[in-house]
Amino acid sequence: MRKLLLFSLALLTAVAGYAQNVSDLIIAEVLAEPDSTGVIDDYGRREGWIEIFNTSMGTVKFGGCYLTDDPADLKKSLIPKNDLATQIGPRQSKLFYASGRTHDGTFYTDFTLAPGKVVYLVSNDGRTIIDQLTIPEDLPAGKSVAKLATDAKGLLFETVAPCDPTPGAYNGDPTAASKSDQMAERDPHGWILTLVSVSVVFSALAILWFFFWLLFERPAKRRSLTSVRDDKNSVIPSAARNLSKAQKAGTPDGEVAAAIALALDMEQSGDVYAAIALALHLELGATAHDAESFVLTIRPTPNSAWNNPADGFRRKP
Amino acid sequence: MEHIYESLIQFWQYTGFANCSWQNLAMIAIGIVFITVAILKEWEPLLLVPIGFGMIIGNIPMFPGLNIGIYEDGSVLNTLYQGVKQGWYPPLIFLGIGAMTDFSALISQPRLILIGAAAQMGIFGAYLLALTCGFAPAEAGAIGIIGGADGPTAIFLSSKLAPDLMGAIAVSAYSYMALVPVIQRPIMLLLTSKKERAIEMPKPRQVSQREKIIFPVIGFLITAFIVPSGLPLLGMLFFGNLLKESGVTRRLAETARGPLIDVVTTLIGLTVGASTQADKFLSGKSLMIFGLGLGSFIIATACGVLFVKLINLTIRGADRKINPLIGNAGVSAVPDSARVSEVVGRETNPNNHLLMHAMGPNVAGVIGSAVAAGILLSFLG
Repeated sequence: MRKLLLFSLALLTAVAGYAQNVSDLIIAEVLAEPDSTGVIDDYGRREGWIEIFNTSMGTVKFGGCYLTDDPADLKKSLIPKNDLATQIGPRQSKLFYASGRTHDGTFYTDFTLAPGKVVYLVSNDGRTIIDQLTIPEDLPAGKSVAKLATDAKGLLFETVAPCDPTPGAYNGDPTAASKSDQMAERDPHGWILTLVSVSVVFSALAILWFFFWLLFERPAKRRSLTSVRDDKNSVIPSAARNLSKAQKAGTPDGEVAAAIALALDMEQSGDVYAAIALALHLELGATAHDAESFVLTIRPTPNSAWNNPADGFRRKP
Repeated sequence: MEHIYESLIQFWQYTGFANCSWQNLAMIAIGIVFITVAILKEWEPLLLVPIGFGMIIGNIPMFPGLNIGIYEDGSVLNTLYQGVKQGWYPPLIFLGIGAMTDFSALISQPRLILIGAAAQMGIFGAYLLALTCGFAPAEAGAIGIIGGADGPTAIFLSSKLAPDLMGAIAVSAYSYMALVPVIQRPIMLLLTSKKERAIEMPKPRQVSQREKIIFPVIGFLITAFIVPSGLPLLGMLFFGNLLKESGVTRRLAETARGPLIDVVTTLIGLTVGASTQADKFLSGKSLMIFGLGLGSFIIATACGVLFVKLINLTIRGADRKINPLIGNAGVSAVPDSARVSEVVGRETNPNNHLLMHAMGPNVAGVIGSAVAAGILLSFLG
């Protein structure tokens, strides 16, 4: 049953992941009627074309999807499944020629384009329309209808027509300034960025401080104050009252461990026993750094000078 | 006989002697200095030995086109260099750092987190100086991050913002990290009085395992939501720490802080060193970067120390005062800058151990520099 659940989960994840990938595609630009300056296909002809753009930051394989101009026939023009070329790199595009003859090659559709038509990109299930683009009735020959990004992330688009065609190229402004150039223009001396950045760094760490003060430091202080107050009013010290279950059950606490170590030390002097005591003390106090539950590791390290912090420092240059 | 002579001439043309220039020799000499300093003075040997030897490797004069140089596609060195160029190595090093860092000092005294933020002023001070020197904003951001005193972060950010300057930035960052005791000590002494240096801080409270486990989760969520562009560094840092503190993934934590970080440190040092080919490295810009890097370390240290003094003005009760000597530890050269706090503190008061207190701002500095890198990336990337 558990295996079945895991398998189903993996299958769902894979399907969802694939679907999400294909859904990142859009029909970015369409040219219905080429003029004498239009792009020429592999056969030396000028045709209408459809540009598919990958809006994501990962490569998308779209073999098995469909292009169509007929909502009643969503499987009109199949994009070949087994052609390795049917994938688009991040933020890149592929061009399909609307020649009306799919046997011309992978990137040719089974229909032609004309003003007024709607072009659909359909998922590989043959039912889900991923994206569509309407060609305006009055679109002149040699002009295209295109989707241009309107937000900073480049994920929201608006349809614009007529446009100067840019087949297979980015539909935005090719001369747009980089973030660095924009910053150089807006903030030439760097004071704004410095001010904002310093504020963000301080805010981020101040929030972290606040959370840990609220979650841990404040309750710890309260506990400590309460225990001091209680100790004044009680004959039993709070430390004894707050023994853990393990301690109540007979597990030795840090003081017992230290006493054991002292006895060992008196029996046979040596740093080893003190190291064992320290490790026991850390383990019982839950401060041992490499503690795995119920495991205490003590590694002998020759010449470690474990009890002298100064010996662990680098020599002063 | 003529064929033998021609063959010898042809072989000569392929040797390093025939292709040698004074720039190559200068870089090889610098590489030897790095190795010497690392071995004799023990200044950051784990970094300076690989970087120094990498400099020698990268500057062996050779005939181009043999597909062996670090900048020749498909060569062995080029393949290893992709970890630097594409930014894989720095997050892996952060995984190891997370798995070896004990955040107890920070959790027990959360107020010390802000010192880690103050010391990041070095980054932005150097950014302003670099802009004044005529660098483009993206280049200035990459140079500024040297002030974070965090080699992996410097490599990560410069690979994104200014790949051409990455060699100089990385070597500068690691060199100054090795020189932290030399740079920081005089600034600390200059900015503090003997009375301030003698301040004894109360023993930090003991931190429970539960707090240590919650810290990486909460810490990651807060910082990553504020600066998502720091995700690769912050994610790996806190993930590594969770492996360490969860108590149930000891093998993973040991691998991350042991073999994994050793392998990546070796590769990152060697390839960064090898990327300093004389023709790409020896330029006026590199010298300026070294100067600005030094400036950023000075600003970071001074800001950390002065910020503590400023906090002390607002604190009531002498027993709650913070020793300003831990201010320098806000730069994230872990644990070197904290050691400097301890050493300088004990010079004034031999019984005053500041190491554990200084580790708080020190690890906060790691988080702060990763956050700062994320901010610069989102503005300039």
